[in-house]
Parts: sequence; structure tokens; C-alpha cells
Amino acid sequence: MGLDWTTFLLEIVNFLALLWILKRFLYQPVLATLAERRAGIARTLGEASDKEARATTLQSQFESRLADWEQEKAAARSAFDAEMAAERVRQLDLLSHDLAAERDRGAAVEAHARETLRRELAAQADKEARQFASALLTRLACPELEARLVDVFIEELAGLPDARLATLKAAHNGHGPAVVTSAYPLSDAQRERIASTIGARLELPGRVEFGLDASLLAGLRVSLGAWQLDCSLAGELGVFAEAPSFAN
Amino acid sequence: MEAAHIVFQLGFLQITSTVITTWGILLLLGVGSWLATRSLSVASPGLVQTALEGAVQSIEAAIEGVLPGRSALLLPFVGTLWIFVAVANLTGLVPELHAPTGDLSTTAALAFLVFLSVHWFGICSSSLKTYLHHYLTPSPVLLPFHLLGELSRTLALAVRLFGNIMSLEMAALLVLLVAGLLVPVPILMLHIIEALVQAYIFGTLALIYIAGGMQSQEASHASDTRSSNAPDKKGSST
Repeated sequence: MGLDWTTFLLEIVNFLALLWILKRFLYQPVLATLAERRAGIARTLGEASDKEARATTLQSQFESRLADWEQEKAAARSAFDAEMAAERVRQLDLLSHDLAAERDRGAAVEAHARETLRRELAAQADKEARQFASALLTRLACPELEARLVDVFIEELAGLPDARLATLKAAHNGHGPAVVTSAYPLSDAQRERIASTIGARLELPGRVEFGLDASLLAGLRVSLGAWQLDCSLAGELGVFAEAPSFAN
Repeated sequence: MEAAHIVFQLGFLQITSTVITTWGILLLLGVGSWLATRSLSVASPGLVQTALEGAVQSIEAAIEGVLPGRSALLLPFVGTLWIFVAVANLTGLVPELHAPTGDLSTTAALAFLVFLSVHWFGICSSSLKTYLHHYLTPSPVLLPFHLLGELSRTLALAVRLFGNIMSLEMAALLVLLVAGLLVPVPILMLHIIEALVQAYIFGTLALIYIAGGMQSQEASHASDTRSSNAPDKKGSST
């Protein structure tokens, strides 16, 4: 249990030797490894920091670019909206123009249809009026009307202008006698008046022949060769029927 | 408890079993360190390397906790103290071997080295004059007490470790003699804990003594600086 100086000194030497051994073979390698690892970690952290900085830069660039894109998008949207508005206005104008043209075409078609209908109605009215007049005059035909029409014929022939008379004379030019056809038998007095009037106005040297034709309804018709002087209801109704319609 | 006996004599040096055991520990630690550190890997450390790095980093952290920024200077000495004392204490568990720290010569040698290292590191951190000056602060009257404290704590360091390890081996031997073969096993388990605790205490006390020597001269230097600057301040104020 006592203190042995030799052991004391040798233990000091032993400890110093152990200190050198551990420093040489334990501490230095382990500390070097730790320092190398820490350097690697620091290097990795530095690289991570650099990457973070680059990432931050890229993020800021991306955000800036994103903002630019947003502005470009807004500008493009505005341009697109303006273009769409202009196109809409143009299309509306075209549509309005087409609608106006269509409306005009419709109005024209409607006017045409209305005119056609009006003409059809007018034609129908003419037809009915003619039928009515024909039926009415047919029912009114009688010897008295015949006498009145003879009077009218005589008056018309007496009042016929000279130019017309000259035309009739030139057309007849002595081709046979004048033929007077009546719907009813004429009295002698009526025949005499007719013959004398025709002879006086047309200066016919020949005689005048008389005939009957019930289809004349009333009145008479004078045939002078190729010419005819008609003063009968049938003739008037024929003129009336052949006259231009009111629809036109 | 058998005292260390002389194994052989080398000239005038009497080699005891304690010295032989210490050489064995040196050989074991030296070869083990060389084997463990010959193929260290930075990228993929193995189990042994991880344990070694953990132990070294723990020692480094303990030193940094007491003396920040001085771990590189103190790590070899304090770390060797911890490792050697722990291994030496545990050597007592090996049959037919005695812990070198159960010999007062070994613990006295370690305490003497701690005593020298306190002054060595204290002087190295500043200068001899500054270091010696701290024995005169706060008053030269306290110089004998400073010197007495240096000796007493060194003596206490040696005797504490020697007494604990010697008493552990003696207690185990007594229990073995009295109770039988397997009864000392719990005592041996306690021996492991006590060996590690005593190693930690010895190394920590050595670290604290060294830190006290380094910081005391720094405090002395700081107080001298303040006292030397005081007249200047006074003069400038007047």
C-alpha cells in the first residue's frame, strides 16, 4: 500500500507514452475524420445555401416572369376583348344589314303577295262585276232597250267625226250592202231611220239588209264588209269583258 | 488484497505487477486504437468508428463545457486520463489481475501529472509571471493557503482514486471469502459502475483543476488590467 518511487516514475512514463500513443493513433485520426466530415457537412451546407440562393433567385425570376406573363396575358386578354368587341360590332352590323335586307326582302315579298292578292281580288271583282253586269243586262234585255239602243246608234253614227267616217268609207269601198243584225225584230220605222242614216252618213248607194241574232241580247250590229259597227249589249259586254282589268 | 509485488528487476528498476499491467493496458489501447482507426471512413462509418467518434466527441463536449475553445489543447491529456483510469479500474475485474489504480504509486503518479499539467497549461495560456501572480491575489497573505490547497487537492486526487478502487477489490475479496463463489457477482457489477464513476470523477476534477489554473491567471490578469487602467481613468476625468 506504500508509495514505490520506481513504480511512481514508471507510471508517469507509461502515462506519457499512452498519451502519445492515443494522440497518435486515436485522437488525431478520429479528430481528422470528424474535421473532414464537418468540412463535408459545411461544404454540403454551403452548397445547399448556394442552391437555396439559386433557388431563391430562380423563384424571384420565376415570379418576375410570372408577373410578366400575367401582364402579357392581361394585355392579350384586353386585345382579345377589344378584338372580340370589334368583331361583335362588325357581326352585329352585318346581322343588322342582313336583317334589314331580309326585312326589305320580306316587305317586298309581302308587298308582292299583297299586290298579287289585290290583283286576284280585283280580277275576282272584275269577273264578278262582269258576270253581274252580264246577268243584269241579259235580264234587262227587251224590245224597249232595243229601241233605245237603235236611237243611240243613230245618234252615235250621226255624231261620228268625219275622219272616222272617211276611214269607214275607205274600208267599205263598195263591198256589198250593209247588213244590220238586231236582237229583236225592227219596226219599219226603225229600219227606215237606220237605213237612211247609214245611207246619208256613209253614202252607201245600195240597199241595207236586216237580220236577227238573239245572241246580241239587245241592240244591233252593222256589218260593212270587214268592218262592223256594234251597238248591242252582247258587243258592249264583249268589250267590257275584253277591256283591261281594274286589277292591272 | 495483495500488494503489488516485484515481477523482475531491470538494473536498479524494480518492475512491479502494477507496471506490467499498465504495459498491458498500453499495449491493448495502442493496438486497439491502431486497429480501430486504420481504416476510418468519412462517408460510411462502422459501428466501432461510430463508438470511437461518439467517445471522442463526448470528451470534447465535456471540455468545451468547462473551457470553451480549449478542447483541442486539453483533449489528449484529459481524454487519456479518462480512458486510462476507466480501463485501469476495470482491469480489476479480470481474474489474476489487479487494477493499477489500486496501487497508490499509480494514482500518485497520475495526480502528480495532473498537478504538473495544471501549472503547465496555466503558464502556456499566458506567461509564467502572470500565472505565478495569481497566487498573490487577492492578497499575498493567501499564498500559503494557495500552496497548501495545491498540495492537498493533489493528494486527495491520488488517495480518493486509490482508496475507492482498493476498497472495491478488497470488498469483493472479503465477500468471496465469506459468502462463496457467485455471491460477489453483484459486487463486481457495482465494481463496473464504481470504476467508470471514479474515472469520470478523476478526469473531471483534473479538468476543473486545469480550468481553474487557466482561468485564475486570466482573472488575475484582468484585475491587474482594471487596476492599471483606473488611474488613467481618474486622471482623464480630472
